[in-house]
Amino acid sequence: MNALETLMLLSKMLGVLTGLSVVVLSLTWLERKFLGRMQMRMGPTRTGPYGLLQPVADAIKLMAKEDLLSSWVDRVAYWVAPLAVFVPTFMIWVTIPIARDLVIQNMDMGLFYIIAFSVLSIVGLVMAGWASSNKYAVLGGFRAAAQLISYEIPLILAVLGVVMLAQSMNLQEVVSKQGTVIYAAIQPLGLVLFFIAGLAELGRTPFDIHPAESEVVGGPFVEYSGAHWAVFFLAEYINTFAIASLTVLLFLGGWLFPGLPGDVSALGVLVFLVKTYMVILVIFWVRGTYPRLRIDQLMSLGWKVLVPLAFVNVIITAVYMFYGWPDWSLTIMSTAILVVVGWGFSRRMRTAPTPEYTVKLYVPAPEASNAG
Amino acid sequence: MVGLNTEGQLDTVQMMVNMGPQHPSTHGVFRMVLWVDGERIVDLEPHIGYLHRGSEKLCEGELYAQIVTLFDRLDYISNLNNEMVFCRAVEKLMGLDVPERAEYIRVILCELNRVASHLLFSGTFGIDAGAMTPIMYAFRDREKIQTMFEAVTGARMMHNYIRIGGVKSDVPDDFPQRMGALLRELKQGIDETDRLLSFSEIFLARTKGIGVIDAETAIAYGMSGPSLRACGVPMDVRKDEPYSVYDRFDFGIPIGEKGDSWDRYYVRVEEMRQSIRIIEQALEQMPDGITITPSRLVLRPPQGEVYVRGENPRGELGVYLVSNGADKPYRVKVRPPSFCNLMAIKELLKGTYIADAVVILGSLDIVLGEVDR
Amino acid sequence: MLGNLKGLMVTLSTFFRHPVTYQYPDEHKPIEDRYMGFPVLMWDKNVEEPYCTGCMVCVRYCPTQCMTAVMKDNPLHADGKSTRRKIVDSFEINLGRCILCAICVDVCNFDAIEMSHEHELSKYARNDNRTNLPKLLEMGKAYQQESGWKPEKEAKAEADVKPVGSSVETKEETAEAES
Repeated sequence: MNALETLMLLSKMLGVLTGLSVVVLSLTWLERKFLGRMQMRMGPTRTGPYGLLQPVADAIKLMAKEDLLSSWVDRVAYWVAPLAVFVPTFMIWVTIPIARDLVIQNMDMGLFYIIAFSVLSIVGLVMAGWASSNKYAVLGGFRAAAQLISYEIPLILAVLGVVMLAQSMNLQEVVSKQGTVIYAAIQPLGLVLFFIAGLAELGRTPFDIHPAESEVVGGPFVEYSGAHWAVFFLAEYINTFAIASLTVLLFLGGWLFPGLPGDVSALGVLVFLVKTYMVILVIFWVRGTYPRLRIDQLMSLGWKVLVPLAFVNVIITAVYMFYGWPDWSLTIMSTAILVVVGWGFSRRMRTAPTPEYTVKLYVPAPEASNAG
Repeated sequence: MVGLNTEGQLDTVQMMVNMGPQHPSTHGVFRMVLWVDGERIVDLEPHIGYLHRGSEKLCEGELYAQIVTLFDRLDYISNLNNEMVFCRAVEKLMGLDVPERAEYIRVILCELNRVASHLLFSGTFGIDAGAMTPIMYAFRDREKIQTMFEAVTGARMMHNYIRIGGVKSDVPDDFPQRMGALLRELKQGIDETDRLLSFSEIFLARTKGIGVIDAETAIAYGMSGPSLRACGVPMDVRKDEPYSVYDRFDFGIPIGEKGDSWDRYYVRVEEMRQSIRIIEQALEQMPDGITITPSRLVLRPPQGEVYVRGENPRGELGVYLVSNGADKPYRVKVRPPSFCNLMAIKELLKGTYIADAVVILGSLDIVLGEVDR
Repeated sequence: MLGNLKGLMVTLSTFFRHPVTYQYPDEHKPIEDRYMGFPVLMWDKNVEEPYCTGCMVCVRYCPTQCMTAVMKDNPLHADGKSTRRKIVDSFEINLGRCILCAICVDVCNFDAIEMSHEHELSKYARNDNRTNLPKLLEMGKAYQQESGWKPEKEAKAEADVKPVGSSVETKEETAEAES
């Protein structure tokens, strides 16, 4: 590589770094406003017009906070843990394309690379929990590790379903093959699996048992303050954006939109961003609605429901490809499985077909009673 | 081999976790020392008394009219119900009659206070389980109720409105219209929170079958109120010993089957609907008349003792009043419902997960102001 | 997943509703007429003196004992302008200790003390809420202006004109309760 190519590479990486920082700032603002509106209140309003300077205020506050360390922390692990969580989240972005020609380095094994690197941040969480020498942090760190490792499998298998359909791990090819029909229409089961496993990977409600909870306050991050905590916070939002972008690229057609030319970069970026923000709004919507699952319920959901469903997804995709059936057959099979599983859940929890009331109204027979 | 105990199992150590007085999910200043083995709670030690203010002793130094302000602050969420029980105790001791209009006003306000208290419960129970929106909806509705209280009694919380012999003043002129509008909005708000939370599968997974207590154990611990009714025991002071004008209304009491946290939650949601039913009937039946029996400010009840109980939103509040003929009582003893409900916590929490501990404590609906007095 | 889906629909519907926030301090929530704020002393415009005579009934019946008062001979009575023989000399309420129970209002024989609509009294020093007589009278005059307060006799005269059976402000009933 000559000097020009190195310069181009560096400038692209810098561009991605800046872009991601701006995106993260906007996500913090968007989350608070969106959640506020769902709860019939306003989000931030005082910091700048419509609260738009709120992320700046947050950043200044976090940088200015005192970094309090207790004397029993394991210094090396304490300082390395944020890096171990933060660096892999950035490394994923090397190969995620945001338009047909805008990517730092497109790889033929792009999806493989992404999945391999996203697993690395789990080590960082465990290090953070252990290094804090706080019982709550240790508890939280182990919970986090267990949760993240078990939900990697449905995630990978959902991605595998898409790879089978596209016959390639190259992200640009995956998107260009969705020119006529998006994969969400062919494999709705894959989309649901990827979304739920992605939520669990991020540590978002309803799977946020390890971070800010009302019992183990803060989980593995309880001893981190100020700029240190800001790094974890940043990593979580970049991960959110990454999972949303992957959903869009793998299932929702990336930067393609029917009627718009697919090779104009600016238009592609716009479409991509709009779709990604829509997915992120759905993530926030889910956050505002549901309570959280307990750790053992989370694990049993992952292992007993999502992993078998992911295998079933791969099998029906294989059957569809082997027999050369038309696309809509896979749609029907996927949707049928989704409906059956959803109905099964409702039956098991006694909310279908009508909710089961174990509380009944009792009206005692009128009789002569003592006056009070 | 290192790491194995005598039974060939992994050698583990029990960890002591302190859910201290300052914690986001203990409702008030309440300390629980938990011994956990992994995630399961093996033993627990509750510590109360952080909110003790000496209310019962303070009562011995105040006139009867001033004690009403103290009772406001016992269970600071259901103020009017507390005031009512105390005023009934003094009226029973003195043989005072309360005018009918005052009785109806008292019943309407007490039932409205019950709705407000249960709204707060359903919001905070959602937060304990992890859902952050139901509390916002609950407080939006509670705000409407508190505005109504402000219009009638003059204060949003510590009302000092129910006086010995009646109520302090009559309701404003536009009371029936405002109450009608408020009740319509409350019904919609309760239905909305119900649709959001009560039958959500995740919420059911968190609360069904958690913290089960059977009827005999509950009665043995002296539990009362919705926590007892969720176990299937149809005990309600308003039906067993109807006081005030409760025998003129047609309402049901919700009874649960299983005695788990979901039943305790849903019994309260249904009670809100029944309270609204009572208020509607009371508004129709309310007669005209005076609102307080004129009496002296400085009351001197005759020598004697009386025990009066009433149905608070949290259970059965009992007031035992001993008078020796002076203008201040000799002894006022309060039987708080949350104290007796809380005593079952050791039984309920052994063998559960830490995450469940929070949910179970939340479902008991305790108020530390009442537990510690 | 029916319950879950219904939950999602509920939050979506509330998203499109108007938020219920009052943007304090630009907007204040409207206060009801009967709101019991901090107690203030009333000013008699006809005679240009406070209604309060310093009789200390309120001081005795306050549950938190947050008031002190001193009485003096009324110079205006000697001149023949006023029917009050004694008048208040100094009066202090520690508004930080007041529990807003309005017992002082109920027991006052002279309509001298009322609960105003004041509720925003933050101060920088710890005991700065110990309010003395001039400040109480000033707050009282502001309250009289804002709410059109009338003493009991005039209010009763107006009320007697109203038909029987309506819900009348029963200050006279509590006055009977004291006698």
